Formats: sequence, C-alpha cells, structure tokens
Amino acid sequence: MKSRTILFLNALLVLSVAFAFTVTANAAGKAYKIGMSLAITGPTSDAGNPYAKGTEDYFKFVNETKVLGDDTIDCTIRDDQYKTAITKRNFEEYIDDGIVMYLNYSTGSTLGLKRDFEEEKIPVLPASYHAGNLDDSNYIFLPVASYSEQLVALSEFVVKNHKGKGKAKVAMFIHPSAFGRGPVEDAKKAVAAGLNMEIVEVVEHGKDLDNSAMLKRLMSKGVQYVLCHTVQSPVATMLKDSSRLGLTASSYGEEGKLTFLGVHYTGGNDLIALAGDACKGFVWSCSFNLTSEKNDGTTKQLALAKKYGRDDKAANSHNYAAGIMVAQVTTEAIKRTKDAGLEITKENLYNTLNKMNGKNAYQPYTTIGPVTYSKTDRAGVDMLQIYSVQDGMFKKVGEPIQSEFMKKIK
Amino acid sequence: MSANKWLATGNFFTTYKQEQRTFLTNLDQSIFTFFLVVLFSWPLLFHLSNKSMLVIDNILIAIVAVMGLNLVTGFAGLISIGHAAFVGIGAYTVASFCRTMGDSHIIVTHFWPLLIIISGFMGALFGAIVGLPALRLKHLYLAIATLSFQMIFQWVINFMSFFNQGQTIFVGRVFWVTGKVGRKDHYLFWYFVILTTVVLLGFGIRNLMKTRYGRSLIAVRDNDRAADAMGMNPGLTKVYAFALSGFFAGVAGALHAYLYRGVGFESFTLHESISYLAMAIVGGLGTLNGSFWGPVAINFLDLKVGSLAEVVGQYMPSGMNLATALKPFTFGLVIVLFLMFEPRGIANWWRITKSYTKMWPFRY
Repeated sequence: MKSRTILFLNALLVLSVAFAFTVTANAAGKAYKIGMSLAITGPTSDAGNPYAKGTEDYFKFVNETKVLGDDTIDCTIRDDQYKTAITKRNFEEYIDDGIVMYLNYSTGSTLGLKRDFEEEKIPVLPASYHAGNLDDSNYIFLPVASYSEQLVALSEFVVKNHKGKGKAKVAMFIHPSAFGRGPVEDAKKAVAAGLNMEIVEVVEHGKDLDNSAMLKRLMSKGVQYVLCHTVQSPVATMLKDSSRLGLTASSYGEEGKLTFLGVHYTGGNDLIALAGDACKGFVWSCSFNLTSEKNDGTTKQLALAKKYGRDDKAANSHNYAAGIMVAQVTTEAIKRTKDAGLEITKENLYNTLNKMNGKNAYQPYTTIGPVTYSKTDRAGVDMLQIYSVQDGMFKKVGEPIQSEFMKKIK
Repeated sequence: MSANKWLATGNFFTTYKQEQRTFLTNLDQSIFTFFLVVLFSWPLLFHLSNKSMLVIDNILIAIVAVMGLNLVTGFAGLISIGHAAFVGIGAYTVASFCRTMGDSHIIVTHFWPLLIIISGFMGALFGAIVGLPALRLKHLYLAIATLSFQMIFQWVINFMSFFNQGQTIFVGRVFWVTGKVGRKDHYLFWYFVILTTVVLLGFGIRNLMKTRYGRSLIAVRDNDRAADAMGMNPGLTKVYAFALSGFFAGVAGALHAYLYRGVGFESFTLHESISYLAMAIVGGLGTLNGSFWGPVAINFLDLKVGSLAEVVGQYMPSGMNLATALKPFTFGLVIVLFLMFEPRGIANWWRITKSYTKMWPFRY
C-alpha cells in the first residue's frame, strides 16, 4: 500500500514538473523563424562576413531587450560560399523549417531563386541591389536603391559637378558578371534620355594586378571620370596604379586627370585599408550612415557591436550596418504585423512590407533615409549620400540625393 | 561455372560467355534486385525533406557525370580536367531551347526526355571535338587541352548575351502523365528520373565493358602501341571515349538544368571539374562502382564539414570562419590521402569486402 502511495506521489511530481515546463514554454512566447544564406567565406566574404554579424547581433539584441515582448526571432544564418547551388539547398531547408521571411545575399542566387520565391510567396530581402531582381518578381524587396539607380545618380552627380568644357567624358569600370553589367544599360539609357555625358568605354576588369595600360588608354581617349561598379579590391588596384602614374585628380574634376567614383560595394573602410593614400578624393555613393560621420545611428551601431564583442573593423563597416538594416526591417515588419493583431505568416509580412510607405515609412538608424515599400516600389531607401575620402576617411559631400533620370527611363 | 547457382566461393568459368555474365550468381542478382526495389520504393514509404531530396538528387547527377569521367579517365586512361564544361554543354543545350522557344514551351515541358537525350548527344559531339587533340597528345599535354576547353566554355558563356552572360536561364516546370510536376513533388519526381537514368547508364557501362569497344578502351589505356599492333584503332578509341564521356556529362547537365529549374554559369566552373575528378579518384578510377562511391563520399564529406562549421560557430562564433575554411582543406586532404594510401579508391574496399564475404567462413 505504501509503495502504491509513493508511486502515485512520484507520478504526480512528474506531471507537475511537466506541467510547469509547459506553462513556462507558453509564457516564453512564440519564436518566428527567419533564414539567412550568405557568403561568410569564399568570394565577396569580405562584405558577407560583417553583414552576417550585423544581422546576428541585431536579432540577438531584439530578443534580449524584448523588442517583440515575449516573442523572439529565431534566425538561422548559413554560409553559401557565394554558390547558388548551396544557397538553394539552404533555402529549401529553411522552407522545410517553416520560415516566415528569407534574407538572401548574392545577385546570382537571388536571380536564380526568384521563381522559388514567387512560388513560395515568401518576402525576401537580399543584399544584392540588382535592378533585375525586381523583374517578374513580387516578393523581393531591395533594402536600398538599385545599383542602376545608384550608378545613374552618380552619373547625374558627375554632370552637375563637371569641371571643364563640353560633355563629361566617362569610363565605366565594372565587375565581369551580372552584378557588374546590369546597371550599365540603364546608364546608357539615361544618356539617351538626355543626361549630358559621354560613355567613352566600358571596362570589364579581370584579375589584373596592374592597370597601367588601361589607365593610359582611358587618358588617351580624354576620359575625365571613371565610374566604378564592382568590389573594393580591383578598385584599390586601379587607384594605386593611377596614383603611381600621377593620373589621379588632386581635386574633384581636375582637367587632364582622372576622378574616380564608385557605387555601394566599391567603397567603405576596406577600400581605404587596401588603397591607402591612393584613394584620396574617391567619390562614393551609399545609402547607409558611416561611423566616420557620427550621429545617433552610428552611435547605436557602435554600441551594438561593442555589446556583442565585435572588433573595430566589423563595427565600422558599412556592410555591418547593411546587415543590421535588413534585421531591422524584418523586426519592424513582424512588430507591425503583431501590433495589427495578425498572425505572423509569410503573407501577412508581405502585406505589412507593402504598406511601409507614406506616414508608415520606416526609419532605421542605419540608413540616411526612410525605407518605403509598396506594390509598385520595391526599393527601400531611395536616397543616396555622396561621400568622399578626406584625411583617410569617408566624409559627406552635400545633402542626400535621388536620381531624376531613373524615373524617366523606368 | 560453379555447380551451385546461388553460391560460389571462387571462379569456375569454363567459357568466356560465363565470365561475361552481368551477375555471377543468383544471389548477386537477387541482392541487386532487392537493392533496386529498396531504392525505388523507400521515398514512397518515408517522407524526406526537400533539402535532403535535393542533396540526394545532386549526388545522383554527380554519379552520372562521374560515370562519364570514369570512362575517359579511368577506363581509357585519358586525363580530362574540363568535365564540368561538358556537363555545362548539356545544361546549356536545355537552356538554349528555353532561350529560343521560351521556358514553358511544350518541347521543354513535355518532351523533356527527348531534350535530355539531345543534350547527351550535344555533349558527345563536343566530347569528340575536344577528343581530337588526343590523337596527338598524351598525359599532361592532353590535360592542358581539356583545360583549354574549360576556359573557352567559361568565356563563351560569360560573354555571350544569348547565354544571358552566365546569369540564370530559367527552365519551366515539366509535365508527367499525372500533370504538371509542382514544387511539392519536384525533387521526388526528379529522384525517380535521375535514379532510372543512373541504372540505365550503369548497365550501359557494364555491358559496354563486355564488348570489344569496351575492352579496346582498357587496351589503349594499358598500352596503345600494343593495342594498335593487335588491330585496334587507338586514335578512334580515344575520340570515342571522349564522345561517350561527353554523352554522360551532357545527360548529367540536362538533369541538373531540370532539377534546379535554371542554368547558371557557376555550376560548371573549373572548380566543379576538379570536384568531379576528385570524386572519380576517391571512388576508384577504372571501376564502375567507384563512380557511385566517389560522389556519395565527397558530397557527404562536404555536408558533414559544413555541419561541423555550424556547430563550432554556435559555441565559438570567432572560430566559424576557420571551421568553414576547413571545407576546402578537408577536400584536398582527402584526395591526397587517397592518392597516397588507397589509390584504387573506395571501390577497392568494396572489392576486399566482397571477396571476404565470398569465402566466409573460410579464410581461403
């Protein structure tokens, strides 16, 4: 009899413990699954690495500071080594796991998986700002203005600030891939639509360690501005060669010399580290706040990096800011959907993102302008800040700009 | 031939015909049939995630490609380090149809078996062309010739607007007798298609090796002058080895295009060619079952090292980069270790296991 009582009491104890854990689990709130696939190693990992850290840190911050109340974000980050096949494998795994939003990285994989995104009806925020991502696509949301818009805006900047007579003679220095080639057509369209500049040559760089011949050729053709759309290392090589040959303009637009300008992935602290003094005067367009221009946003960025023990290189990287930004937009979409009393699903997050405009526009602390999306506008931050290298760091040049010709050629 | 048709503890052939049997004993045949039934039926009994099915499909495609590489490098002894380009030829054949007719054209979506075969023949055509230098070149020089083809292929795809300059060219969803194959059944459907292809091509190679065409490959590999003296045509044999290899690669490429529903340049780079070669070496050059072991081993290794990197990343975030960098390191190390300690590949372990079980419980 005694042993039966003990058995009963033990069973009761086990049930009580199990019940207690169930209650705790319910009180802990829901966990929303997000998937991210990007190049932490391999090509372009110099950008992908801090990008991943930014996203990881911000989601940690959201969970620890209870931004979503008791609910949390469970974001799995996987390395795809810049390979579309691995990205697809990661994506399929995330879909099997039931993610509600997907964060992607490269241009190739975003274009390659576009149809999967459509079929899954899942909102996607890529790190690729390729305009082609938006063609025949409803679920891809670019975090900032497309490369095309950035290159056209930079071209407009060249025309407005051109020093010298006649048309501004420009050469394009681009990455030999879809990523590099995409915006060139739009720049040509802008010229056809009346942008007063001449595209003298489009150079697709290889893995050259010396650009002397190419730079001399551009000089002989009367080129005054070189617009770059690639990654930092080839730009750094070119800038060092130009500096060594004495071809770099000492001030913006100096006649008989070359002034170098670049789009998003060409600039940043990595360029300064690679090119050193040779990048003095380099003009760069970017939609993110930089830590070299202190404001509330950059203070928060640095505090976040410090909180999670990131080194200075990562903390000051604009790619770290870009990683935070996509996490911010994701969190905001979840928060707004939750506040509206809706369930957190792919469909509801998609609708919330589409309503992120007008007075509902979202201002993350990492960007220089608000994020706006609608069914017809899939580029988040439309504004661009022009920066220029002065005293070894990027400094603001004027107020944020927006392309005018892009609207004409769209 | 052994008196017992179910068990044989040694070779008792009395005619060449007996030696050329596909299965030496009834037990071999039964085990193989059972194995095939299991391979075809397990997905109907157990549900596997899309990711796992994608991994398995990918391994099966690699098996098709490595069978082709094994023909030219393993059986014929001709080094090819441009195999991914041949796979690319197959994939871009499907892509070309999509570009010219539209990716949802009936030929792409309904006549896909025909398109897969056409892709194989395109691979064979390019294989024969690339094989022409083999008439005059050997060893390292031939390897460089195949490398050149890889480079030319990459350049053409990267710069020709017809091929979308290497960007993804989409391939539409195919139809089967039950209707359109949707996203839900996509990987399972292609599992059956690719598995059927692997079985057919596997039997194709097994039978080829019983013919004089198959034997001439081995004869030319072992000593082409002796083969010439025996009345074979070494030049033609080499070209046809490349063509045959190209056919397998072309079929693999077309399957890849349909599985991924798109063709992008980066799946057919030099790195992929080296991976195929590694699979062939690890599996066992010059053996049919080596073509199965190699892709399984290399893909498994790739996945496991990836998982290790993830686990390390969870506990030591700063160590994740190092752990991920282990991937190429492990890949290289495995090849070196196999070349040093087991140049005959995993296939040799299989051979040892088989011969042991054949005589068990006796030692000899």
